[in-house]
Amino acid sequence: MNGEQILEMEKIYLNVVPSTANKTGEWRLLTPTRKEKISPCRQGCPLGGEIPAWLNAIKRNNWAEAWEIMQRKNPFPAITGQVCFHPCTAECNRRNLDEAINIPAMERALGLWRLQNCRPAAPPRRVEGKIAVVGSGPAGLSCAYYLNRAGYRVTVIERAPVAGGLLALGIPSYRLPREILQQELQLLQEEGVQFVLNCSVGRDMEISRLYDDYDQVFLATGAALSRMPSLPGVKLNGVWSALDFLQQVNLGRTLEIQNPVAVVGGGNAAIDAARSAMRIKGIDRVTVLYRRTKEEMPADPEEVAAAAAEGVQFVFNVTPRELKGEQGRLVEAILNRSHTSGEKLIIDRDTELRIYCKTLIFAVGQERDWSVFGTLHREIRLCAGGDLISGPAAVPQAIQAGRIAAEALAAQLEGKPGPDPSPPESGAVTFEELHLAAWPGLAARGRQEDPSAEAERCLGCGTCNSCGICYLFCPDVAVTPDQGRYLFDLNFCKGCGICARECPARALMMEGGW
Amino acid sequence: MPVELITGNQAAALAVQRAGVELVAAYPITPQTAIVETLASLHAQGELKGEFVSVESEYAALACCSGAAAAGARVFTATSSHGLAYMHEMIHWCAGARFPIVMAGVNRALGGPWCLDPDQGDSLSQRDTGWLQLYCSSAQEVFDTIIQAYALAEKIMLPCMVIYDGFYISHTYETVDIPDREEVQRFLGPPSFAAQVQPGLPANLHGLSTGETQAKLVRERHRTMKEALAVLKEINARFAAAFNRKYEPVEAYFPGKIKNVVVAAGACADTVRWCLPRLADTGLIRLKALRPFPGEEISLLLEKQKIERIVVVDRNCSTGMGGILAQELKAALYPLNSPPAVYDLILAGGIDFTPQMLQRLLAQREPHRGFAEIWGVDLL
Amino acid sequence: MNSKINFIQPEYLHSGHYACPGCGAALAVRYLARALGPDLVVVITASCWSIIAGMPPLSALKCPILHCPFPSAGAVGSGLRRGLDLRGKHSTTVLVLAGDGGTFDIGLQALSGAAQRNENFIFVCYDNEAYMNTGIQTSSATPFGAHTTTAPYPLFKKGAKKDIMHIMAAHGIPYAATATVAFPGDLEQKFRRARQIEGFRFIHILSPCPPGWGADSADTVELSRLAVETGFFPLMEIFEGGAPVLTYRPEKRVPLEQYLKLQRRFRPLELQQIETLQQGVDEEWERLLKAAGPV
Ligand SMILES: Cc1cc2nc3c(=O)[nH]c(=O)nc-3n(C[C@H](O)[C@H](O)[C@H](O)COP(=O)(O)OP(=O)(O)OC[C@H]3O[C@@H](n4cnc5c(N)ncnc54)[C@H](O)[C@@H]3O)c2cc1C
Ligand code: SF4
Ligand code: SF4
Ligand code: SF4
Repeated sequence: MNGEQILEMEKIYLNVVPSTANKTGEWRLLTPTRKEKISPCRQGCPLGGEIPAWLNAIKRNNWAEAWEIMQRKNPFPAITGQVCFHPCTAECNRRNLDEAINIPAMERALGLWRLQNCRPAAPPRRVEGKIAVVGSGPAGLSCAYYLNRAGYRVTVIERAPVAGGLLALGIPSYRLPREILQQELQLLQEEGVQFVLNCSVGRDMEISRLYDDYDQVFLATGAALSRMPSLPGVKLNGVWSALDFLQQVNLGRTLEIQNPVAVVGGGNAAIDAARSAMRIKGIDRVTVLYRRTKEEMPADPEEVAAAAAEGVQFVFNVTPRELKGEQGRLVEAILNRSHTSGEKLIIDRDTELRIYCKTLIFAVGQERDWSVFGTLHREIRLCAGGDLISGPAAVPQAIQAGRIAAEALAAQLEGKPGPDPSPPESGAVTFEELHLAAWPGLAARGRQEDPSAEAERCLGCGTCNSCGICYLFCPDVAVTPDQGRYLFDLNFCKGCGICARECPARALMMEGGW
Repeated sequence: MPVELITGNQAAALAVQRAGVELVAAYPITPQTAIVETLASLHAQGELKGEFVSVESEYAALACCSGAAAAGARVFTATSSHGLAYMHEMIHWCAGARFPIVMAGVNRALGGPWCLDPDQGDSLSQRDTGWLQLYCSSAQEVFDTIIQAYALAEKIMLPCMVIYDGFYISHTYETVDIPDREEVQRFLGPPSFAAQVQPGLPANLHGLSTGETQAKLVRERHRTMKEALAVLKEINARFAAAFNRKYEPVEAYFPGKIKNVVVAAGACADTVRWCLPRLADTGLIRLKALRPFPGEEISLLLEKQKIERIVVVDRNCSTGMGGILAQELKAALYPLNSPPAVYDLILAGGIDFTPQMLQRLLAQREPHRGFAEIWGVDLL
Repeated sequence: MNSKINFIQPEYLHSGHYACPGCGAALAVRYLARALGPDLVVVITASCWSIIAGMPPLSALKCPILHCPFPSAGAVGSGLRRGLDLRGKHSTTVLVLAGDGGTFDIGLQALSGAAQRNENFIFVCYDNEAYMNTGIQTSSATPFGAHTTTAPYPLFKKGAKKDIMHIMAAHGIPYAATATVAFPGDLEQKFRRARQIEGFRFIHILSPCPPGWGADSADTVELSRLAVETGFFPLMEIFEGGAPVLTYRPEKRVPLEQYLKLQRRFRPLELQQIETLQQGVDEEWERLLKAAGPV
């Protein structure tokens, strides 16, 4: 201190060491733990996609991590981002603040990132086991993706000349650009999945052969057989089923279609048929005939609106009774008024409306396709999924079915118990449960163009959203930021519980003990 | 060297100015006030550089000094009586914190009742705090001691009180030799101790400690204080060489063979010195340093003489015990084979100490054996 | 909701400090140190922080700490500031940290002296509304109705909390502000502002104390937030002793009861006393709005 003498005092007071030598973690009775709760979006998602988690990775600009999380549940976000009707978004808590997160757009962005950035250098390391997948719709593709990634050799057998199932032959290309599907298929092939096209199992090949040649077989032949009503005149020229019609359109065939066009049905297939018809050269009068009211239409409202905007007409509360033709060619349809009463549809046989139409497309139902069985006489262990089992559903459900099947088949091959079909979690975190008051700087802000900025809007809802509140409010500086993630340093955490109390996303809990 | 006719207080203020003190924090109290006033006017004239802080209490004065000392500054404050008592907590703290602060303590009785006379009880009740205490007998000595106090305090990192009697020294004019600033600076140099608080260097100064740590710190302080006597002698010698005025921690005036010794500190000692030629067989031991206590030096001085009687002039009283200097002195007598009798002349209340008083006391033929307590008021 | 805050900044408070779990005073110092940056020296007077800072040779802060006796903070700060200036360290911020005892009670004289002299440092009172370090004794910052160990049930603190902001504003100091830990953005901004201002700056931080208030340690931030949302502790700034400027105005004030019921020190308050407290807050709030300039 005076330069001549080192005082005891100097040694004690001036040569200080950080208090981190004092491990206050020993005081702790409760420990903060990340206990993720289900978010409304995830609950809404048929895939159970970990939406807040991958959004969070995008927020941190870590696309590789986002993809890693995404593909655990959904290997085809570029496709679902395009065609899924996003029930996730409908439930998004952020609606209560400003506007739902644009999950489909984010999914699309992540899907495109994956298509651009994930060219595999080599197929995954192989393990023993050959698997045949029948049907190349989303269920089959998803099953193939997961099994291939697990190292099995997968062969997809498809009846049609193109792969993709309804993605290729049902959903119109203006809704799912075919390059996206092509790239996904390409990538699967590069990763080692084999495709056999133009091969109808049950007709071109006995299904029993598959069970001889492969260790496991997954059936995903869908429910794309059209169901036609038994009405007088359905055999007339100009009467179509929606699936056949769309398939022809999608295969690029030139169709003998004449104005005016009527489409019967109220589902998405009906709207797809109507909008696809509108796109055919020379067709400008398309009317959708639906037996119930507009509100009761099962079709996606956005799709209905888009159809109306394109000039499609709608007539509600009508049911066709008879089709009339001239020289075997349809000229008009005779309709009855109809309405719903309770569960039932009441058709008023006394009313009669006529609609002049030269083309009529029925979109009134699909049948499951059991054609694979042909003349099978042998007992097999059936593993099947997608529309084939559920009946007509949607793409994410089919992907989910494919993933679960893949897990089950792999488990069987490895002699392990199969996946536990636990019921989906319920009790999603509500908007009121969120603790947004704790979040400095959180303000209403509509959808953003930039994916990171949009992802930043996600509130987390039961999953860490990297807001950093736990870090901000920890009196012990025991939460460490690590590239947008927050780690608990249990050497120092005293277990006060502030972080868990303040976490806006409700992603933290205090648990007993160390 | 210019010689000036000034009071003890003015001498103190000039010493502060000459010592290159960088921060003065003070609060008025009689009989110290003139120091602050003089310093204020020196500051106003630009002769006292640095900071002059008119604080809101004596407590704050010392607290303010402590803060500046922590930053490595040479600081000064002055007070008396109630002011000193009010500082008490900070007085302890500054010693514990090893701030080399110099303070002028001008003795005055503590109330109640209000009393302005120069009882030494105010400074003596701070003697266990870890401060050096140097008692002065003249304005010249006040000046010289303040200069030396900085050298001592900054060398051993303990605060120092330079103490003198109110009015007798603070307010009486004497001729004082005042060396100029450069000369003093040559002797003292700028503050050489390192700042405890250095921005950017983590430190936890004077934070929570265990009793064990505290024990080590007190032991170190105590040992340093004891060694301070030697350091003080060195400084005294250096000072004598530079300014030709000699001081010692204990000063003995033994005119030939003596039987009586008067022990005194401050202005009283000067009175005794004046008396010596008029008294037979009597010498003087002047206590300049009370802390560190020069016990060994005193016993050595007494050992050499055949002393029958010691008179201690105590302008104070530790109620229920007696004069404080006498109590302290008794510790120095312990090593002697046949200790002399001790007359404790208690001048509590700061009453006047007169030659007559001393004469009357020494005229008593039969010296008491052992210890006698004599109240100055009874001799007036 | 809260001013925008840059979450990730260099930290100057070390983990391993000696504060109780959930300590508001630890949080307060964490934030202010973040805002003031590395060129800082802190004077700490007798208070919980005398302990929190750690037993040397440990230290909980990255900057130098100078401890000082209870009543001395304002004066030690004055001396240290001037001492540093003497050594040319003008850019260093001197911060004096005192609890409510060291500010409202025993430290008031030195605080007032330093404020009146317009000494160039920041005086921070982290107010946990009682002598907590010694075991929850009443101070003049204890609010009406609270129980302490010197006002045990059935007694309770009788007088109102001393209006320290009024007192400080009356000194006409360049800057006085209130802040609290639930609003770290606001708090840090006030310290950044204070750092730019010359002269005496006073910042009063309400710092919930879980053991002293009889609250769940997890509720520290919530209590701090409720104190503001109820209007019990308005966030404001006062420049040069002028009109208070509210830095945050609750959209709709939350009933005081919500704040009180999280704290055992207010239990068992009679309904009537709650009303008295609510009335006091309402009146004070109205008075403040009248006096305040626009937000
Ligand atoms: C017009 C239309 C539009 C739709 N739009 C959407 C939409 O926008 N979003 C959405 O989520 N869902 C939509 N869906 C539903 C969705 O397409 C299906 O739920 C999904 O494709 C079902 O997938 P899958 O793999 O089970 O069956 P599919 O996609 O039907 O695939 C089955 C595949 O198996 C092949 N196959 C059948 N039998 C054999 C056999 N014997 N041998 C070899 N191969 C065989 C078929 O050729 C076909 O490729 C739509 C459906 C339709 C009809
Ligand atoms: S805010 Fe995020 S986590 Fe919450 S529902 Fe919306 S997308 Fe899901
Ligand atoms: S407070 Fe924020 S960063 Fe911390 S766990 Fe919760 S959501 Fe994640
Ligand atoms: S706020 Fe900090 S100390 Fe408290 S429980 Fe969370 S991590 Fe631990």
